[in-house]
Amino acid sequence: MENVFKISSSPHVRDKKTTTGIMLDVIIALLPAAIFGIVNFGFDALILMLTCIVSCVFFEWAAQTVLKRKTTIHDLSAVVTGLLLALNLSPEVPVWMAILGSAFAIIIVKQLFGGLGYNFMNPALGARCFLLISFAGQMTSFTYDGITTATPLAILKSGGTVNVSDMFFGNIAGTIGETSVICILAGAVYLVARKIIKLTIPLTYIGTFAVCIMIYALSAGRGFDLSYLAAHLCGGGLMLGAFFMATDYVTSPITPNGKIVFGVILGILTFLFRIYGGSAEGVSYAIIFSNLLVPLIERCTQPKAFGKGAELMAGEENSGKKSRMNVKSIVIATIAIFVITIIAGFALAYVHKITKQPIADANQKAKEAAYKEVYADADSFTVLDFDEAEAAEYLSGQGYKCDIEEIVIAKDKTGNAIGYVLVVNSHECYDGYMQLAMGVTNEGVTNGISFLSLSETAGLGMEADTDSFKSQFAGKKVETFEYTKQGASADNEIDALSGATITTDGVVNAVNAGLSYVNYLKGGN
Amino acid sequence: MGLLTFSGGIHPYEGKELTMEKPIKEYLPKGDCVYPLNQHIGAPAVPVVKKGDRVLVGQKIAEASGFVSANIHSSISGTVKAIEPRLTSGGTKVTSIVVENDGQFEEVDFSENVMDLSTLYREDIKDIIKEAGIVGLGGAGFPANVKLSPKNEDDIDYIIVNGAECEPYLTSDYRRMMEEADKIILGLQICVNLFDNAKGIIAIEDNKPEAIKLLTEKLKDNDKITVNAIKTKYPQGAERQLIYANTGRYVNSKMLPADAGCIVHNVDTIHAIYEAVIEGKPLIKRVVTVTGDAIEKPCNLLVRIGTNLQELIAAAGGFKDGIMPEKIVVGGPMMGKAVYSLDVPSTKGVSALLCMSHDEVAALEPTNCIRCGRCVDVCPGRVVPSLLAKYAEHGDIDSFLKHDGMECCECGCCSYICPAKRHLTQTIAGTRKLILANKKK
Repeated sequence: MENVFKISSSPHVRDKKTTTGIMLDVIIALLPAAIFGIVNFGFDALILMLTCIVSCVFFEWAAQTVLKRKTTIHDLSAVVTGLLLALNLSPEVPVWMAILGSAFAIIIVKQLFGGLGYNFMNPALGARCFLLISFAGQMTSFTYDGITTATPLAILKSGGTVNVSDMFFGNIAGTIGETSVICILAGAVYLVARKIIKLTIPLTYIGTFAVCIMIYALSAGRGFDLSYLAAHLCGGGLMLGAFFMATDYVTSPITPNGKIVFGVILGILTFLFRIYGGSAEGVSYAIIFSNLLVPLIERCTQPKAFGKGAELMAGEENSGKKSRMNVKSIVIATIAIFVITIIAGFALAYVHKITKQPIADANQKAKEAAYKEVYADADSFTVLDFDEAEAAEYLSGQGYKCDIEEIVIAKDKTGNAIGYVLVVNSHECYDGYMQLAMGVTNEGVTNGISFLSLSETAGLGMEADTDSFKSQFAGKKVETFEYTKQGASADNEIDALSGATITTDGVVNAVNAGLSYVNYLKGGN
Repeated sequence: MGLLTFSGGIHPYEGKELTMEKPIKEYLPKGDCVYPLNQHIGAPAVPVVKKGDRVLVGQKIAEASGFVSANIHSSISGTVKAIEPRLTSGGTKVTSIVVENDGQFEEVDFSENVMDLSTLYREDIKDIIKEAGIVGLGGAGFPANVKLSPKNEDDIDYIIVNGAECEPYLTSDYRRMMEEADKIILGLQICVNLFDNAKGIIAIEDNKPEAIKLLTEKLKDNDKITVNAIKTKYPQGAERQLIYANTGRYVNSKMLPADAGCIVHNVDTIHAIYEAVIEGKPLIKRVVTVTGDAIEKPCNLLVRIGTNLQELIAAAGGFKDGIMPEKIVVGGPMMGKAVYSLDVPSTKGVSALLCMSHDEVAALEPTNCIRCGRCVDVCPGRVVPSLLAKYAEHGDIDSFLKHDGMECCECGCCSYICPAKRHLTQTIAGTRKLILANKKK
C-alpha cells in the first residue's frame, strides 16, 4: 500500500511539558537554597550534595537493573530526590551516612514500591527520618561558625530568644537547605511562575500552622507575639517543606479539595509535633505521616463531575446551582480524617512524654557509668550549671575546635567535691564527630577518659577505644598532652595510634580542651 | 466581569492564522463521489437508487431509516456506479453509494422546493430540515430535525449557535460567519421561531473579534438574538461546556441539552438550515479547512460532500515541496481522526483536513504517572482522568462507573496536558465504548 500515514488515537498534539522538564524546573528552583547552603556551610555541604545526587542516581540505575525494569534515570527524578535529601541533612553528616540515606530513599521508598509515581512517601524525607531515627546524634548536631549550637527552634523551645532576621536570610544553624527563607521563597516563586506547583498546599499548610501557633501563643500567655510566630515560620525547614516537599506530586492528593485538606492536616501535625513533641522540629514527620493519609484523603475528596445530578433539576433551577449530592459524605469523611489526625498527632507527641522519663533514666545511668569509669574514686556526681556559650567562646579563643556539653562535680562519700567530669564534643576526628567523657581531679590529675560516641575506621581510629590507649591518659598531672610517633617517654606524651594520627590528634586535643577549661574554671573561681 | 467560560480546558497552539483570512472557494469534484450510508448518528440510511441509475445534483439517493437517521443527497450529477463497502475516514469500510461524475453538475430544480415561509407551520419547517438531510456539522452528526423536536417544546429557552470553533487550525465556521452572516442570522431566526419561549445566542470565542463585531452590529436591533463573546479555550465549543458558559446550566451524560432547555447547533448547520428552508437546497456542500504545515496553500474550500480527500489536497496546492506528511487528520488536532489513506470521501461531519509533516505523538513514549494533577485541572468534565485510566487499564468497570467515567466527553485535554505522555483519553474512551456496547446488548 502506498502513502500510508501514521495513525493514532486523538489528540494529535501534545503540550511541551514533560516529566523531565518538570524535574529540571524543580532542580532550578532548589538552586538558590543549595547555593546558599554551600556559601553558608562551606565545602562539606557541596560534597554532601554531590554525594547524595550521585548515589541516588546510581541506586536508581542499580535497582532498576536488578529488578529488570527500564532505566529511567534520565527523567531526573533521582537527582531531585538526592538534592532534596542533601538539603535536609546537617552539613556535618558523614558521607557514608548520606549514601546510606540515598539508598534508603531510592531502593526502599521508591523502587521497591514500583518506582516513580508509586512511592508511598516522599523519598527524601523518608530517608531523612530513617537517618534521624538511626543516627540521632549526628543528624541533630549542628555547627555554625565552628560552634556547636542548637537550631533556632530548639533555642525557642527551651525558652530562649532568636534573631528572626538571621532566620529569614539564613545565617543560622540547621540543615544545608532549610536555613534561608528568602532563597527558598525565590525558588518557590519560580515554581509558581512556571506553573509547576500551585499555592494551595503551601498556603493552607502555612496558614493553618500560623493560626495554631498564634492560638497557642495567646493561650500560653505569650500574647500576640509576632516575632515568636515569625521565628516558627522561618525555622525548622517549614518553608522548604511547605513549598518543595509537601507539594511533591506523587505523595500529595491529586484532587483540588484534597490539597486543602492535606495542607490543613500538615499544619495541625507540624504544630502538634513542634509544641508537644520531643524534638523542636516536626515538619519532616508531619509530611511523611500526611503522605500516608493521601489515599484516604483522595477517597473523600473526589471532585463532583460536571453536571452531576443536574438531571434532577429543571430549567432555571439548574442554572448555576451546585447540587447538594455527596456533600454530607464528604463532610463526614473530612471530619473523620481530622479526628484521626488530631488523635494520631497527640498520640505521637505524647508517646514522647511517656517515654521521656525512662529514656532519660537510661541515659542518666549510661552517663553515670561513664562518669564512674573515668572517675572511679567518686561516689556521687552532681551536674554543674555552666555557661555553654561562654565555654565555647573560651575554647575557640584557645584554638580548640571542641565544646563542652556537660560538666559534673565528682564527690566523695562525705560529699566533698574532689574533681570534675567533663563531656567534650569534638569535630576534629577522621570521621568528624566524637564525644568523650574525662575525669579531672581538683589537683589537675587526669583520672581517665571514656568515649561516649566514636565512629572511626575499624582497626585504625577505633583502636582509640582500647584500654591500652586510654590508660595512657590516666593518673597524669600535666597541662597538655602531646602525641608522638617515636614512643612515649615523658609524662605528657601519648603514643599515636598507628595509621590514625588524625584520631589521636582529635582525642588529645579534646582532652587538652577539657583540661584547659577546668583550669579556666578553677581560675575563675 | 470576565468572559463567559467554564472551568478547566487548555490552550493549544491555535494555527488558525494559516487560513483565517482565506475566503471560501468553491471546489467542484473531478472524480467520482462516494456517499457512505452512515454519515450521522443513528440508523444508516437506505439507498433509494440502484446501480446504473442517473442522478442529479441534489437528488435524494438514500433515505432515513428511522427517527434518528438522515437522508443523503447526491452532490454531483452522474451514474450510480456501485453500492458497496468503501473505506471511510473512521477507518472502517461502510456501505456506500458510488456515483460516477459526468462533470455536468446538472441540478434538480430547487425552486420547486421553495415555499413561502409565512404559510409554513412549525412541523413543515422541521420536515424540510429532515428532508434536506441536515445533521450536526460540527462532527457528531446528530440529525438536526431530531434536535429541534424535543419532548417539551415550551421548555426550550435558548437556541445556541456554536461559533466557538475551539479546535485548533479550523476556520471554516469563522469564514461562514464572516462571509454569510445574514444567512446565519436568518437560519437562527427560523430555529428560534420554532419555539414560543426561545431566545437565540451566537457564541463566538474572543479570538475572532471581527466575527463578534460583525454579528453584534447586524443584531443590534434584534431583541431575540444576542452575540456572546466567550473565552478562547479548548473545549469551549463542547456542547455541555458551551451551554454552561452561556447559560450557567449543567448537562450531564444522562441528559440531552433540551433537558436543560437548550438546543445547540453548529454555524454550518444553521447555514444548511437556511439553505434548506429559504433556498430549497438539501445538504450537499460544506466548508472544509484544508490546512497544516505540510500543505502548500492552506485554504477554506466549499466542498461537495462525497469528494475524495485526495482531490482536496490537490485543490490546496498539494503537499509542500511535494513531501508526504507523516500524519493526516480528518477534523481538528484534538478530536479529529487520523487516516492512513487519503482515498476516503469527505462526509457531512468533515470540517477540516489537517496535514502534519511531523507526527509529534508517535515519538513520545508514555512513562509512569507522576500524579501531577494536571489532567484533573484541565478536565472540563471534572473527573479524575488519571484515576479513570487506571481503572480502565485494570478493567475495573465498577470503579470506573463509580468515579463518573461516563461523564468524560473524550475532548483530549488530559492526554494533551499529561507530562508523562500517557494515553489517558484513548484508555478512557476505549472503556466507555465497551460499557456503551454492553449496555446496548
